[in-house]
Amino acid sequence: MIKQLIAAALLFCTLGLHAQSKLSVENVYAAYLRNSGTIMENNQIKGYFFLYQSDKVNRSTNEYTLQILDENLNKVKDIKFQDSRKLSLLEAAYNGSSLSFLFKNEDNRTLDMKVYGIDGQLKYTYSREYTKKTDALMKRYETMHTDEGTNQNVFDLGEQGYVSVLPLRDGRTYTYEVDYFSSASKKQWTYIPSDDEERFANAEYLGSTDSLIILEVMKRNKLMSGKTTSHLVGINFVTKKKVFELDWENDKFLLVPSNIVTVKGSNKILVMGSYFDKGDNVAKDHSKGLAVYEMDGKGHVLNKTYNSWALDFARHLPSTTKGKVDRVGFLYIHKMIQAPGGKMFAVGEGYKRKASAGGIALTALNAAAGGYNGAVGVTKIVTTDLVVMEFNDKYKLTNATIYEKRDNDAEVSGMSDYYSQHMIAMYLKAAGAFDYEFTTGDAGNSNFTICYSDWVKGADYKGKTFNTLRYNGTRFTQDKIELKSKASKMQVFPAKAGSVMILEYFKKEKRLDLRLEKLG
Amino acid sequence: MPSCYAGLTTALLRPLLFLAILACAHMPTGFAQSSAFSPAAEDPALQQSLRSKYEQHYRAGISRLPATYKKDYENIYRQRWDHIRTVFDKKEIYTAKAAQQYLDALVAAIVKGNPILQDSVFHCYFSRSGIPNASYLGEGLILFNMGLFCKLENESQAAFVICHEIAHYFLQHSEHGIERYVSTLNSEAVQKELRRIRRSEYGKRALVEKLVKGITFGSRRHSRDHESQADSMAVELMRNTPFDVTGALASLAILDRIDTDTLNTAACLEQLFNAKEYPFRKKWIAREEGLLGGHAHLERDSVLEDSLKTHPDCRLRIQLLEPLVNRYKTAGKAVSPVDGEKFAALCHTFAYEIVEYAYVSDNYTRSLYHTIALLQAHPEDPYLVTQVGRILNSCYAAQQEHTLGKRIELPSPGFSPGYNLLLQFIQNLYLEDFAAISYYYLHRHAGRLGAYPAFTKAYNTSFHEIKQ
Repeated sequence: MIKQLIAAALLFCTLGLHAQSKLSVENVYAAYLRNSGTIMENNQIKGYFFLYQSDKVNRSTNEYTLQILDENLNKVKDIKFQDSRKLSLLEAAYNGSSLSFLFKNEDNRTLDMKVYGIDGQLKYTYSREYTKKTDALMKRYETMHTDEGTNQNVFDLGEQGYVSVLPLRDGRTYTYEVDYFSSASKKQWTYIPSDDEERFANAEYLGSTDSLIILEVMKRNKLMSGKTTSHLVGINFVTKKKVFELDWENDKFLLVPSNIVTVKGSNKILVMGSYFDKGDNVAKDHSKGLAVYEMDGKGHVLNKTYNSWALDFARHLPSTTKGKVDRVGFLYIHKMIQAPGGKMFAVGEGYKRKASAGGIALTALNAAAGGYNGAVGVTKIVTTDLVVMEFNDKYKLTNATIYEKRDNDAEVSGMSDYYSQHMIAMYLKAAGAFDYEFTTGDAGNSNFTICYSDWVKGADYKGKTFNTLRYNGTRFTQDKIELKSKASKMQVFPAKAGSVMILEYFKKEKRLDLRLEKLG
Repeated sequence: MPSCYAGLTTALLRPLLFLAILACAHMPTGFAQSSAFSPAAEDPALQQSLRSKYEQHYRAGISRLPATYKKDYENIYRQRWDHIRTVFDKKEIYTAKAAQQYLDALVAAIVKGNPILQDSVFHCYFSRSGIPNASYLGEGLILFNMGLFCKLENESQAAFVICHEIAHYFLQHSEHGIERYVSTLNSEAVQKELRRIRRSEYGKRALVEKLVKGITFGSRRHSRDHESQADSMAVELMRNTPFDVTGALASLAILDRIDTDTLNTAACLEQLFNAKEYPFRKKWIAREEGLLGGHAHLERDSVLEDSLKTHPDCRLRIQLLEPLVNRYKTAGKAVSPVDGEKFAALCHTFAYEIVEYAYVSDNYTRSLYHTIALLQAHPEDPYLVTQVGRILNSCYAAQQEHTLGKRIELPSPGFSPGYNLLLQFIQNLYLEDFAAISYYYLHRHAGRLGAYPAFTKAYNTSFHEIKQ
């Protein structure tokens, strides 16, 4: 939505030149917006891109204008180039000295990574053919939701270059590939997992160090037990070799990593995530709690800290068993944040199964008519409160606070009756059904703001709200923006660190206002 | 990293409260209220009547437009009127009687010496804008921005500016420009080219760009010619008045350097906001140097920029005007023959009015920048000190209401480095920083300015904000 609306706003600006005459410039020429999105660096929004089709060169070639806006919405660069007709820009990243853009060229059936210098000159183009194998990737671009409103597959590796992590599918085999693109010289390589047993492997980029790309890989091998296992994979992008792959299958507990943090000034990596009993299926069973592993760059675990739902969380949250909190339900951990002074925070959101009055009635009617409609469940899933957990420098839980919000029905149709809690959470996440929006903060997280949406009904206001929990180094403060205003439509989007972008559309005046607001 | 403000607990608030009460209860007598600047009261009735008058003038003009391409003319004249209307809507016209009388006196001196102007219907007003400019808006309305007036040194320089705008009015540059624009776009050549572009399937952008560039360059060249014509006519008008024609060259020299950023913003901010209780932090003025941080040095196409300029370079204007000025200059002419004292007084007042207008028209960052610049010359000035607190308090309140984005400008490569750093400073502050910086800044002046009601109000507001 942001893309379309912002695009519309900017398109109006670019078409400002018009003449008052029988024929005017605007009725003989128009530029069309193809794509727009954010430019990311180190997981933060640094700018925006808008790809316009600015001309047709011949039957097979178009001219494009790639407009770059900085984090304050100033236009800083226009890049003109020619390419085939069916071109779209998937993602963009920035590493301080270059910009990278991943294009999908449907005419040539290629995925082209173009690296530009900050002077707007094209430095390198890296092309790879795309086949049926990358359909999953394309589908992901069309349907998947990213909480942060940010990149899914392209990430910067500091001054070294960029990495893309692409899902691949070949028949019933799901795998992935990691592509490294240098921005300092024309150098590219691809890593494809060579493990033959991997019939299902889905990789998620967690982060990078000076030399490592770190992925969380979920694997399932139907030929074996069909059990899903979680792996932490470290690939050295200098030596192009896999440095470690950890599944902790022989440990007391299994870890499903969800975040990593590199400890500044050391070679250490903090790996955070949910942990499970040995032998558990991480896709189906309940987690035991949250764990933090301290590791070195070679994959050696130096220290493990566990916080269990039953003991540690129960001290701070009402009656916790199997990860279930009274009134809140199960917790899905959206984000873990390493703050200065060794403190760590985890942001969770509750979800639970509830009887669905409508679903029960429809199922009963269907049954009475002799039919069955699997699309309608007798239970429904609701997302509940937000929970912020605080850990000390030993990574032990010291506090947990529930921030109440309205229970929201999530559209999961019949699956709520049959699927495991974990699967449902994954579905909710992918469908964007959670109310958690994103977290924004300064580079060291000395100040950060957790953003989520809610719906309130009060004496003064009834409607959707955009809520923030800001940590200022010592405490959290709450704030909210009421999303009903004089504007016909009002939306809040992620922006540069510490700010959000507010879009207001005034239908009557056909006016679209866009501004950055600092979060309080 | 925990912020210094983090420790502001109830224990710390108690002494703050005490200090605030103390400041209010024991007002020192060192401050004389009469010495503080007070913005001129607005005259809404006058604003309204002026607006109605000009609207009538606009409508009358519309009814007299030629039948050929009437719609095109109407559209452009409507846009011109929309701009004039905005000036009234934004209450930009300065309605203070004494200032208007003074401006009328300057204009009268020009008209008196130039009988060709005696039947002309134009009016000159001061605009409260801080942008160093003057303009003929159309409909006989000339605006002299305070931002330019207060940078001038004498009446002769101001007279040249007025004469220049009168020349635009007299020579009907705006109307001729519109006429040329409409006839160009409706000309057979342009229409033929537009038809050709419409028929083309490929390469439209390049063709459109070529056409638009041609038209724009032509129009800008005319615009530059108009400026040179207006300069020459201004000197011709000036020579018949008591003003010194050398003021023309002096005012152009001032214009040439008027955009130079002389304020050392980083040093000013540190000096102003380094309180013992809330020390200045370097991270408040930290900025990102890359392409996307708002401070990039963008490459410029100087050839294109020169072609698109509406005004010739001031140095070129001086060069062109010098022979004429040298021919007409006479020894012994006073540089400020009307009322030099009034001129100086208005220059002083306008520097403050600019601060106030930027603030009331919801541009807090511009207002703060003007305030800080003025504080360098008048560090103890009660109004300016209060204004710093007032702006920071307002930033705090607006951020709480999520409307600060409407009231501040964002860092941009297009701004001067000094102003851009101030914008970055505002971006880098957190809500509690606004409150604490304001409070501790005002607190430093509380002993001296406690008897100034505006100061007390700002100080109390900052106290309530820091308490939150």
